[in-house]
Amino acid sequence: MDKIIDIDSTDEFIEEIEKIQGALPKRIDANPKNVEKGLSKLVLTLIELIRKLLEKQAMRRIDVGSLSEEEIERVGETLMKLENKMQELKVIFGLKDEELNLNLGPLGDLL
Amino acid sequence: MKISAYAVIDSNSKISDSINGLEGIGIYNIPYRDIGIVVSEGEQIQDITREHILKHEEAVEKLMESFTVLPVSFLTLFKKKDDVLLMMQEYYSYFRENLDRLRNKVEFGIKIIWPGETIKNRIIEASKKLNANVAIADNTPGKSFAMQKLEKYKIDKEFAEEADRCIALLDDFFSRFVTEKKLEKLRSDNLLLNAYYLVEKEKQGDFKEAFQRTRSTPGDLKFLLSGPWPPYNFISLTKKPSSLDYLNTKDVFTKLVNNLDLTEKNII
Amino acid sequence: MEYVTTKSKDVTLLEVLDRVLDKGVVISGDLVISLAEIDLIYVGLKVLISSVESMERLRGAPFASPMQEPK
Repeated sequence: MDKIIDIDSTDEFIEEIEKIQGALPKRIDANPKNVEKGLSKLVLTLIELIRKLLEKQAMRRIDVGSLSEEEIERVGETLMKLENKMQELKVIFGLKDEELNLNLGPLGDLL
Repeated sequence: MKISAYAVIDSNSKISDSINGLEGIGIYNIPYRDIGIVVSEGEQIQDITREHILKHEEAVEKLMESFTVLPVSFLTLFKKKDDVLLMMQEYYSYFRENLDRLRNKVEFGIKIIWPGETIKNRIIEASKKLNANVAIADNTPGKSFAMQKLEKYKIDKEFAEEADRCIALLDDFFSRFVTEKKLEKLRSDNLLLNAYYLVEKEKQGDFKEAFQRTRSTPGDLKFLLSGPWPPYNFISLTKKPSSLDYLNTKDVFTKLVNNLDLTEKNII
Repeated sequence: MEYVTTKSKDVTLLEVLDRVLDKGVVISGDLVISLAEIDLIYVGLKVLISSVESMERLRGAPFASPMQEPK
């Protein structure tokens, strides 16, 4: 079966498709020892999502100029603390950046 | 013995061709009202290989020659025929609606690579130049952090906007002969577009021509066209789960995301 | 079994995998069973759980070398 009608530069496409797909949906190890890790990964992923959304919201507002100098300072400090906290949590739970993600099938990855 | 499903089709008759599915077993149609689901029975497959997957897909495509098909996800298994019929009963109205909507239509996939890294670097250089003169010595840690994040945010934003402009142009060419489409923008820095297009069978030629014309315009873009596929990306089955053992979290997320536009990529 | 893999065939397989693994008619609920040995079951977030061997073999299938991890 060959469904590829036309393609420029097969190598480059293979590289990019692998990047976005990994060819397979993500899997969670069902080993009971690791179920806890699966849960903490889930929770941290959701917290990370919220943190990133807050950060983006803040940047959007700074960009359009709707925050005062003082507010920018405060927001910056808060975001910095959140980011550091997130780093701490990742270390505590032994999770790397790439692991904090959820594959929602056709919706793509959460983060 | 397990029953593997291949596709839901708009027919309740026997399949006249003999088509082989996974492990070379013949597939057959289980009728339900005016539709049917094509399955094969066999022992559990211990080790799944690429051959199994390709055989499954080939069977679905052979069906597509004679019927309207709703391809079923690989390795959807049932214990017994009764379970299959129960499932058909639950999903009948959704299957019916999809079969009607997808009649005589096929899916094509287009992927486009652009020099994303180069473009991003150009934007980063320009941004550095812009910020070079800004006094940063007397910034508080909070302000510095915010400014750093702001710079990155602006770079990402400009990059995404340039991608959007490029995609809009291209999509405009392809869309002329499509009835539905799904676009995934910038799945990676270099993968500008991953698009799925639903095209009427008799417009396939026009669509492929439009693709060829667009592709031959000079530029740094690289193109991939694949198809025709069964309409994997155009099936909508929003359904409450039959069991309350677990919620269909993906549907909840879908609703949340659609209503609040909260996907990471969309927030600029 | 020996198979000659051309790059174009590899892209075809990637395109197929993109579609058949979690698109099309995706049915959740009690009626879809899990394979005892391969342990393929669907959970709420549509993540496949599978025994390591099967998945490793599947990951190894399209290419001779290991897959890159997604970014």
